[in-house]
Amino acid sequence: MIFIVLFFLAFSLLLYVLLGGADFGAGILELFSSKTNQDITKKTIYRVMGPVWEANHIWIIILIVILWIAFPAYYKVMVTSLHIPITLMLLGITLRGVAFVFRHYDAYEDKSQYVYNWLFRVSSLITPIFLGMIFGAMVSGEISTKNTTSFYTVFMAPWLNVFSFLVGLFFASLCTFLSAVLLIGEADEEGYPVYVRKATIATVVVVILGFITISYGYFSNILFIKGMLNNTLSLFLIFLSALCLFPLWFFIRKGNRINSRIFAGLQVILIISVAIVPHFPNLLITKETSLNIFENSAPESVIRVLAISLLIGGSIILPGLFHLLKSFKLIKILEKE
Amino acid sequence: MENLDAARLQMAFTLIFHIVFACIGMVMPFFMVVSHKKWLNTGNPIYLKLTKSWQKGVAIFFVTGAVSGTALSFELGLLWPEFMEHAGPIIGMPFSLEGAAFFVEAIALGFYLYGWDKISPKFHWFTGIIVGVAGVASGILVVSANGWMNAPSGFDYVDGQFLNIDPIKALLNPAWFTQALHMTLAAFTATGFAVAGIHAYQVLKGKQKELHKKAFKIAITFGAIAAILQPISGDISAKDIAKRQPVKLAAMEAHYETSKGVPLYIGGIVDTEKKEVNYKIEIPNALSFLAFGDFNAEVKGLNDFPEDEIPNVAMVHYAFQIMVGIGGILMLAGLFFFFTNKKRKQWMRKNFFWKLFVFLTPAGFIALEAGWIVTEVGRQPWIIHKIMRTKDAVTPMPGIVFSFYLYVFVYTVLTVAVAWLLARQIKSLNNSPIQNV
Repeated sequence: MIFIVLFFLAFSLLLYVLLGGADFGAGILELFSSKTNQDITKKTIYRVMGPVWEANHIWIIILIVILWIAFPAYYKVMVTSLHIPITLMLLGITLRGVAFVFRHYDAYEDKSQYVYNWLFRVSSLITPIFLGMIFGAMVSGEISTKNTTSFYTVFMAPWLNVFSFLVGLFFASLCTFLSAVLLIGEADEEGYPVYVRKATIATVVVVILGFITISYGYFSNILFIKGMLNNTLSLFLIFLSALCLFPLWFFIRKGNRINSRIFAGLQVILIISVAIVPHFPNLLITKETSLNIFENSAPESVIRVLAISLLIGGSIILPGLFHLLKSFKLIKILEKE
Repeated sequence: MENLDAARLQMAFTLIFHIVFACIGMVMPFFMVVSHKKWLNTGNPIYLKLTKSWQKGVAIFFVTGAVSGTALSFELGLLWPEFMEHAGPIIGMPFSLEGAAFFVEAIALGFYLYGWDKISPKFHWFTGIIVGVAGVASGILVVSANGWMNAPSGFDYVDGQFLNIDPIKALLNPAWFTQALHMTLAAFTATGFAVAGIHAYQVLKGKQKELHKKAFKIAITFGAIAAILQPISGDISAKDIAKRQPVKLAAMEAHYETSKGVPLYIGGIVDTEKKEVNYKIEIPNALSFLAFGDFNAEVKGLNDFPEDEIPNVAMVHYAFQIMVGIGGILMLAGLFFFFTNKKRKQWMRKNFFWKLFVFLTPAGFIALEAGWIVTEVGRQPWIIHKIMRTKDAVTPMPGIVFSFYLYVFVYTVLTVAVAWLLARQIKSLNNSPIQNV
């Protein structure tokens, strides 16, 4: 039963990174665009993400609920030590969500659009950086579960460090990359070359930041990176990911909207696997110990009910979501080229 | 400020905000689908215009409800990690089902908002129904989790350990039904009167009168029916509280001395030092009857509970009085509307009729927040009734007061922004002509 729960945990994480990530990336793309391209992007993402923009962000609620129900000890360490970055991330999610709706549902288009646009773009950049920093903090081994030391060591140091920040930047660049690849297939004549160019740049940035993050982690003796580089399976996955960069690059340059998406999604799956595989089932690495999720899970009766709820919920939600995406022609693979 | 007080204030503040937005987001879809149905049936373009304006309102409230809800799902742990570590798995079921219901709502809303002219009209209308039903289901499930804090069940508590967890029993805790019924009716009452009040004001202003009158009628019908049913639900709740949380009942009534044939106090100033209530109106034997259905029943007073298990009596008592008082007024207003609509149509041409409902615009929400204060402050000092104290659940992180200020700032700005946006919606609605379809 616990494997059903873990499957849904991984599945929600993947969908949040893919869908929510592309959403964040759209805002970042807008931030780093010229005035004309900003307007094109704004229109395109409203059309592409409008019907699903809220659904994309519910995956994080599903994630967090699964965490606290099934792995309460893990959840407790996270919300206690990482209180500050989580609060800042929530601030980003809040401002981003309302800015998106305000800019499309305000009855008048006037100067206030300026505020909504900038709020949307800036929070789109900040939120994934904090999300990445939170993940970085959970695996870098800086969290201390002994509550005896100073405020800085317990509540700041775990996330306010170079490694976490690099992970944050890496995640933000990954979001931008996903969004650019997604938009290649969605843009009209005018926007098409713009996104091909941006996807190319984003790919280069992701690879460079990934390399810097891993190198920094290796030279600063971060357990997570060391473990990753000493594990055959994760090394193989990194190799595979590097290999897949070639077809990805090729399809982006050709502007192939379906294959570029498939390879972009594959990269994300590989990256998440590389992050989880080497230390599994220890998903949280603290100064004192690693939290093994099997040993710290909720009692069997809870896991059983949760697994059944997830199966029922999933069997209602996933077809509904699929139908929604299909009805608004958001899945290009289903259409004829 | 103490960390515990700051954490409690932040939780209270976020919930005060979230409750308003969530209730509107939950109830307004029903108004929207009624108007939509009337458009489908009559082809009257006014209904189409009304539906489309309401759907914008729904979208704005849905997003504010959704983001404040996302924040809350984290805040529970950020502020009360000790509580969530133990309670999280036990009350996981309502939360996971709520997550699913919320997801269904978001998907259905995607269909509804973007489906005009793209999907079949009947299916399109039906997705609006799903939005409403899924919203109400989410509300009920969240209230069930809160019910568990008042009536913890589905586990054995042995030496500080939660053993033999039964999540289904926890979901169906003894408080879930009374609380969910009361809250759902309150949401319909508050939103119905608030929306009706806003449209009544527009009728007085005289622009697009026909549209605003139709909008008023739809909203007030929901609000009035809920307000008329609410006292029945209140009575069920009172009897339930009397059995389950006698200390909360005693605090609601500021009832200090255990006695038989206890009167019901209306109004009054609570003197917590002398443990008495001054300047009140007494209805003899009424509390005994309301709580136990017997005019001579014994009601346990606050003096017979341990000092450290008593909530803030004055606050609970005043909040209770406000809730019941406004609830009564809204019930009468609801009856007045039905009477006018059936027997005295001519009153609807007079200003006093509309002014009355403009005056009542915020009333439902004031009562709703007061009621929430009764149940939450009345539960103190416990976070899990008789199991875990609130002070033992709070986060060890110091300086929560800064996080509290941040939330106050952000949510105040948000509230102002949403109000401003709605005002602009109404302005644009009044200034654009109705097109024939």
